[in-house]
Amino acid sequence: MTSPWSQEGLINGFCRQADMESLQMTAHTGLFAVSCSREHSTGTKTLQREQQLNQFLAGVERRALRMAEIAVRDRDDALDLVQEAMIKLARNYAARPSAEWAPLFFRILQNGIRDWHRRQKVRNRVMVWFGRSTSDDDYDVTANVPDPAGRTPDEQLQTNEAMQHLEIAVLKLPNRQREAFMLRTFQGLDVAATATAMGCSDGSVKTHYSRAIHSLRETLGEHWQ
Amino acid sequence: MNEPTDTKQKDDDQIIEKAKALFDDSVDSLDAATLSRLNQGRHRALAELQRASSVGPWLRWLPATGIAAAALLAVMVMRGPDGVDTIEGPATASDFEMLLEEDSLDMLEELEFYYWLEASDLEANGNVG
Repeated sequence: MTSPWSQEGLINGFCRQADMESLQMTAHTGLFAVSCSREHSTGTKTLQREQQLNQFLAGVERRALRMAEIAVRDRDDALDLVQEAMIKLARNYAARPSAEWAPLFFRILQNGIRDWHRRQKVRNRVMVWFGRSTSDDDYDVTANVPDPAGRTPDEQLQTNEAMQHLEIAVLKLPNRQREAFMLRTFQGLDVAATATAMGCSDGSVKTHYSRAIHSLRETLGEHWQ
Repeated sequence: MNEPTDTKQKDDDQIIEKAKALFDDSVDSLDAATLSRLNQGRHRALAELQRASSVGPWLRWLPATGIAAAALLAVMVMRGPDGVDTIEGPATASDFEMLLEEDSLDMLEELEFYYWLEASDLEANGNVG
């Protein structure tokens, strides 16, 4: 056995210490490398997610706006509702699988529309108390439908009138029927996604949708002959 | 026999097709100002996502860490610097019991009587003394 104080022992001790330091340095470098690699990986993932979310929102925002506008009959309010829904989706559900985004986004939007209607009811009561009219008759549907390219004024007028009739008919539907109709027909969601967006069962969606179509047939039949 | 049902179904399909076409047309006809506002709204939402990811996973534990630190501080204060309980548990518990007892509330309502009793005792002692 070598004494630690002998020359050989000191040399061995020094070598062992050097090995340890080298090992520690390697470990630190390794940790740093792993940490950097993790950060890089997280950054790339976030960037990918952001791109995916941007693509998704760009794909749904216009339809969402028109649906909100039909429901609240005010473009500024509809824009606010869509923006709020986009922010809530990004803040709370961005980490969820992208396949779930559409029903989640439209669920947030529908909740926002429902809240808007509740607020309007309260506002209307207050306005009636002060003797002021809160009618939304000044909302002009055709004013918000800009000139489409390549159509004669007559064709454009016909399209605008047809859209006006449709919007009025859709607005007259009960809330749940309107939601089911817009999500299924305008957004093209399937029954399951519509059920998630509405927070109800598949069966309820089918019932609401069927009743909505029946009502629209009754209302629009004469205009659309 | 199935003819009315078929006609009805055909009418429904036509209504759906026409409604969809009109809606798509109105979506395609949105003006530039509206599209710009939608674009701005989308970027605000994406900025929210960036903010959420820049917070970092460790900061998400901040509330839990705060609660743990507060609990630790409470224990340290109770234990004192020498590791001895500075607040006696049973005594504290008994104080609470006394406060919560119905009689103590009655006592508060009859404070004047207790003042009088105390004053009488002092007077009696003074006379004796």
